[in-house]
Parts: sequence; C-alpha cells; structure tokens
Amino acid sequence: MFRLFFTPGWFNGYDLLFEGISLVVALLIAAYSWKVYRLNRENKFAYFSLAFLLVSVSLAVSIFASGVLYSFPVRETVAQVLSPVTGEGLRYADLYYRMAFFAEMASMLGAWLLIFLISQKPRDRLRKYFELSQIGLFVYLVLLISWVANFRHVVFYLTSAVLLSLIVLNYYKNYLNTNRNKNARSVMYGFFLIMVGNLFFVFVFLNNSLYVAGQLLVLGGFLQLLNTYRKVVRR
Amino acid sequence: MGVRRSRLELVFDVLLAIQNKGGKIKPTHLMYKSNLSHKLLNSYLEELLLKELVVVEEEIVKKKKRAAKVVKITEKGLAFLAEFRRMREFTDAFGL
Repeated sequence: MFRLFFTPGWFNGYDLLFEGISLVVALLIAAYSWKVYRLNRENKFAYFSLAFLLVSVSLAVSIFASGVLYSFPVRETVAQVLSPVTGEGLRYADLYYRMAFFAEMASMLGAWLLIFLISQKPRDRLRKYFELSQIGLFVYLVLLISWVANFRHVVFYLTSAVLLSLIVLNYYKNYLNTNRNKNARSVMYGFFLIMVGNLFFVFVFLNNSLYVAGQLLVLGGFLQLLNTYRKVVRR
Repeated sequence: MGVRRSRLELVFDVLLAIQNKGGKIKPTHLMYKSNLSHKLLNSYLEELLLKELVVVEEEIVKKKKRAAKVVKITEKGLAFLAEFRRMREFTDAFGL
C-alpha cells in the first residue's frame, strides 16, 4: 500500500479529528474575509479568502485520503472480493493516493504562498508585471515541489516551513507596525506554531512520534487563529 | 500629508462624527468634523440617506426659536459602525 510515511497506529483517527477542526477554522476565516471583500471590494480580502479556502481544500483532501488509508481491513477485504471482477485495475490504487497527496500539497503550498504575498506590504512590492512573473514562477515551483514531494515527503514539509517562516516574519513586522496590537501578535503566534509543527513533520523519519507532536502544534496554531478570529468578530 | 481615505473610510468618518456628537449633528458641524467639502458631504449624505444609515430631521433650536436641520444616525448606521470597527480589527490582526 502506498504511504508517504508511517504514523503511530494509536494516533490514526485523532489526526483526522485535528485536521477537521483546523478545516473549520480555515473556513470561518475564509468566510469572514469574503464578507469584508463584499463590503469594500478590495481584492486583497478576496485573495485572503481564497488562501484559507485552499487551506481547507488541502485539509479536506488529506482527511479523505488518510481516512481511506486508515480503514485498512475494510479496504483490503473489498479489494479481495472485487479482484476477480476488477482484475489488474486495483494496481492503479497507488495512483489515486499520489493524486490525492499532490492535490493536498499543491493547495496547501499555494495557500501559504498566497498568504505570504498578501501579508507583504504594498510598498515592499515590485512593479506589477514583474510581480506577475514572480507569481508565475512561484506557482511553477509549488507544482514541482508537490510532485517531487510524492517521492520525498520531507520536501513538502520543509517548503511549508520555509514559507511559513516568511509569513511569521511578515506578521512580526505587522505586529510592530500596528503599535504592538495584541490580535496581530496572536496571529503571528498562530502561524509560528503551524511552522514549528511543519518542522516536526520534516523529522518524522527519525521518530514517528514526532508526527503526533507536529499535529498537536499545527492544531494549536489553528486554535490560536480561531481565538483571534473570535476576539475580532465578537467585538 | 496623510493617506487618502477610501470611500468606506469616509462613510465611517461621517457616521463616527455623528455618533461622537450624541447621535445627531448640524450639517455644518458635520462638514468640519468629517473634514469634507460642502459638495462632497452632500453627495455622501445622499448615499447615506438612500441606504438608511442616517436621517435628516428638523428640530427647533431653543436659542433662535426656529427650525434647523439635523442629521441623525439610525440603528442601521450604528450597526455599520460596529461592523466597520470589526473589519478594521480583522485587517490589522491579519496584516491586510
């Protein structure tokens, strides 16, 4: 059976729950950003909404693909029963997993990239056409990395961690620019936790319990973002 | 020189000026408080009236003993102010 890396068996299912919670948080932020966009028609809010929508798409694909992987006994029994009918067709099951992991990685990296570009202040940006070509190059790299990561998962988590560290840096600048706004600091911590979580995933090959720590950190990051969202919206 | 205000920020400034004056204000005072020209203020007031964010009423001025126009903020206007504050906090927090 095709797998990117092995996770502790006892944790199977918990990670799906964690990702489910993160998915809800991402959808809430995407929805509020879209609401703001409809009010003021500023494109950056639509892009921000799209970025968090991509995060939720990635998490949804991950939950679905991992869910199928974890239901091992059921899946194998069905495969055995159907083998006289489907024949060699089941050999291509790996292709399904590779497609799912590719979609998961490409949308997650695309989301981080979009958040990084949005969190850059306009004065730091380059000329419009240069910027477009830069985005084109980034999109190509995201797709390439997502494909390569199907063979070496470390590449995905390492790229995620690098992009997230740049996002954290932008949010640190934002925290300073907003007179040390508490909510801006909270968002910075949220992305910082997600970044550290991704760094833990890089080293899963050393000890698979690092996967559990990574998942807890990523969940902590999303809960931190949820806390900020709650404080902002319930004012 | 300050940053140019967006249309939405101008609307917010007009409504905030009314709220800061206890919910009603004379048009001339509003012009000074929101830092807008007479022509521009009228165009914004028209839009605010159309969207029912403010109402214009006539009130008797005790000193002069004659009716004068006042601009009043509505419940919808107050709700807009609250939403705009939330939106600004979201913008600051998420660095947008």
